[in-house]
Amino acid sequence: MVSLTSYLFISFVLFVAGIAVMIARKNIIAIMLGIELILNSAALNFAAYTRFVNNNLDGHLMSLFIIVIAAAEAAVGLAIVIRFFQIRETIHIDDASQLQA
Amino acid sequence: MFENILFLLSATLTIVGVVGVVFSSNLMHACTLLLASLFGISGLYAVIGADFLAAAQLVIYAGGVVILMLFAVMLTGGTANNNNKFGIDKIAGMGSIKTYIIAGFTVIVTSLTVLKIIANYIKSYEAHKLPEFESTVEKIGTLLVTDHVISFEISSILLLGALVGAAVIARPKKGQE
Amino acid sequence: MEYTISQVAPIVLLPFFAFVINAFIVKHFTKTAVAISCVSILGSFFFATRVFFDFLNTYSSGYYIHKTFTWFDISYGAFPFKLDMGIYIDNMAATMLFMVTGVASLIHIFSTYYMRDDKRYGRFFVYMSLFTSAMLALVLSENLISVFIFWELMGFCSYSLIGFYYEKEGAGNASMKAFMTTRVGDVFFLLGILSVWSVVGSVSFVDIYAAIGAGKFNGLYALGIPLATFAGFSIFMGTIGKSAQFPLQVWLPDAMYGPTPCSALIHAATMVAAGVYLSLRCYPLMEAGHLTMAIAYIGGITAFGAATIALVQTDIKAVLAYSTISQLGYMVLGVGVGSYNAAFMHLITHAVFKACLFLSAGSVIHSLHDHHTHAHVQEMPRMGGLRHKMPLTFIAMLLCTFAIAGIPLFSGFVSKDRILGDALVAATHSKWYWGPAILGFAGAFLTAFYMFRMMFLTFFGEPRDKELYDHTEKETLSWNRNLPLLILALFTLGVFFSGSFTGQGIIKVAGKKYEWFQTLIVKPDTKSFMSYRKQDFQFEPNRDPQQFEMSHYDPDHGLSEDEAHHVHHIHHIGALVSIVIAAAGVFLAFMMYVRRTWNPGFWVSLLSPWYRSLQNKYYFDDLYIKGLIQKVLLPLNNLLAFIDMGLYDRYIIDGQEYVNRVFFTAAKWFDNLVVDTALVDGNGAAIRFFNVILRTIQSGKIQFYFIMIILVLTGYIWNLNI
Repeated sequence: MVSLTSYLFISFVLFVAGIAVMIARKNIIAIMLGIELILNSAALNFAAYTRFVNNNLDGHLMSLFIIVIAAAEAAVGLAIVIRFFQIRETIHIDDASQLQA
Repeated sequence: MFENILFLLSATLTIVGVVGVVFSSNLMHACTLLLASLFGISGLYAVIGADFLAAAQLVIYAGGVVILMLFAVMLTGGTANNNNKFGIDKIAGMGSIKTYIIAGFTVIVTSLTVLKIIANYIKSYEAHKLPEFESTVEKIGTLLVTDHVISFEISSILLLGALVGAAVIARPKKGQE
Repeated sequence: MEYTISQVAPIVLLPFFAFVINAFIVKHFTKTAVAISCVSILGSFFFATRVFFDFLNTYSSGYYIHKTFTWFDISYGAFPFKLDMGIYIDNMAATMLFMVTGVASLIHIFSTYYMRDDKRYGRFFVYMSLFTSAMLALVLSENLISVFIFWELMGFCSYSLIGFYYEKEGAGNASMKAFMTTRVGDVFFLLGILSVWSVVGSVSFVDIYAAIGAGKFNGLYALGIPLATFAGFSIFMGTIGKSAQFPLQVWLPDAMYGPTPCSALIHAATMVAAGVYLSLRCYPLMEAGHLTMAIAYIGGITAFGAATIALVQTDIKAVLAYSTISQLGYMVLGVGVGSYNAAFMHLITHAVFKACLFLSAGSVIHSLHDHHTHAHVQEMPRMGGLRHKMPLTFIAMLLCTFAIAGIPLFSGFVSKDRILGDALVAATHSKWYWGPAILGFAGAFLTAFYMFRMMFLTFFGEPRDKELYDHTEKETLSWNRNLPLLILALFTLGVFFSGSFTGQGIIKVAGKKYEWFQTLIVKPDTKSFMSYRKQDFQFEPNRDPQQFEMSHYDPDHGLSEDEAHHVHHIHHIGALVSIVIAAAGVFLAFMMYVRRTWNPGFWVSLLSPWYRSLQNKYYFDDLYIKGLIQKVLLPLNNLLAFIDMGLYDRYIIDGQEYVNRVFFTAAKWFDNLVVDTALVDGNGAAIRFFNVILRTIQSGKIQFYFIMIILVLTGYIWNLNI
């Protein structure tokens, strides 16, 4: 039951769910949730590989760094969202379309 | 035996949480379910013997990032918005049915891609004897300051930058507060 | 004399350059322009005198100067098409040059008196210089095309000068009439030139003579008549037009609208003589075409008819105009009866005395100034007794009238009598020539009569208009008024032309060279021209004049003994008859107009229909204007105008518009469909299509960007062959 395949499968589900969240939801913070899911799937993947394929803890470190980066990125991203909210008074993703041609 | 149960519980928790994050219409529910799925992932880490990693996940992610998200939800008038629904309307002039189709198509394509990658590795994977569990804290610590010291230092700087940057970006406007 | 171009060219070029220079300066420097004109013609006279005396000293009837250069040569294969231009001077041309330049210079000098009050004083001399250069070039020309060119140029000058007083009501019409009438003749002239050119291959006179001698014209027919006749008659039509023969004589009386010196030069001495000169040059052609009888009749009819019209004229210039037509008729009559030499002599003598007569008439007219109408008087009924007021003019005019009337010892008698004598000779040979002969003698009688009528009415008797007579100033000798008249009158004496009483050598004046005119100027002998060589225009030295053997006067004219005796006999009879009829004419005029014994009114009432037709100039003007122009040419003109405008313009030109419209519609369709829709709009549609795609991609929606990224990434991974 506990095998690389199942961990990869869980990682897969997390990843795809994260993609779906990022595509489908309209709240910016909800999209940030999706980002977290994706990052977590990657970290889980790394950790599974150190356990089941090679044993030299590099994967764990990678997961750790992913967690760190995810935290920093969440902080900055949310700060931007708050800033965006302060200016635009909305956090609907379709209102962030200033790049529209 | 114990491993399998723990694994199943964690996996179930993770997947249920994730599905909830995708399909829930309330943002608070989404955040809470994310918290739950992060708990589940932490459990998954514990199953494979990544004790430090599980703890770090709990502390940082569950106790930090999600809290941060909840704060952001509060600050941006989160649940009061009516845009929490799961819906893909109005992407670039497409009608509602079409957007669902586009999103579904993307998901399917992504899934197949990932499965294709996974399938390759699964084929080339040979099961071998798994090592004994042992504490990883000390080893991670040692690795951090010897083999991966550069990454360690840079990530600390990164955190500093994130800290300062977040503070600067989210500062209230002049004249307010 | 060495003849390079510098010896001969100034004769023509001096007046021509005077014309060119004067054309520019005449407005501002009038007196200088007049001086330039007069000096140039005197310079021409100087060079012409040199040429003339060289010919006279050589004294050979075959002496000539002939220099040519090729103007263009566009021959193609077997079709020769080459035109040479050049000069050809033989005795006839040298004499003509001397006469033309002499008379022209005297007329220029007289014009400085006559035209000095005119407001276009300078312009007159511009035209005169152009005219004299054209006439001199015509005399020198060596081929028919050159003659034609200068012929037309003289026609233009005549047109300008007749219409000189363009304020006068009839002057414009008169100048146009002159030009058009001579044009009718010129059309046939050109036709004749072309037919000659087609046969001979060249228009040069010497080549034509050689061709006639070689018999090239034998057996060729044009429109059913022999080609020599056709060509000869066509060329003679040029003479009919230019020399105012019947039936194209209508322009010369109207030409009197021009200034009197112009009438003197152009319509008495030179231009109208050019026609006769042409006939003389082309005489072998007319002889080969057996045209001489027709020519004689035309000449005779003209001579007699014009003389009859002159009987009833009251304008002094009109009398002289008709007398010019009549004398030209005599010249043509002379050509017709075969007296080549006499016709040319009459041309020369007529030029001198007719110029003098016109100038004298001008002098008379200029003196008679009517203070009421501020015009000069030309009507003889208002003159009379003027010999007391203008003695010198009277003397000059009297001498010239003697000449024209055919009084012995004057030049006119010499030439006219020889023509009439030759007419009688021809009449004895063929009875058809009695017509011209009778007409000639009758015309001589009438000539004497009307000329002396003019003299008596003008200068004798009591002045009919007292006021006019009293206001006339008495004439004083002035260099530019009387001197030309007297010089010209001097040359009307017969001794200059022939040292004999009747021109036959009966009474000889000193030396054998005094029959120079008869000796030197002979009919061109076509056989002798067959072997011949032209010279280049400038560089080859002249042929040695010694190779031309001196001619001697042959009183028998080359005929056999019996024939010569017969000819002399007839000539004596003719001389006697002409003296008698001249005396009769003078006597009749004397009785009618001086002594007033016989009343001309009696004859007028007797022959009043004839009198009326004479006053209407035999209804020629009416015939031409009402009959020909209004009834024939105008309807033809309207028909052609209808064809051009009504048919051609309407259907072909406007039909073109219809065709254009069809093409326009097709082009518009093509433009709209293919170009506009397919290309232009299609371009826009293509761009819009890509625009839609790009606009979609750059939607600004972040989730859409994310989808794009995922799809691209998966596409990349699928291609990686993992």
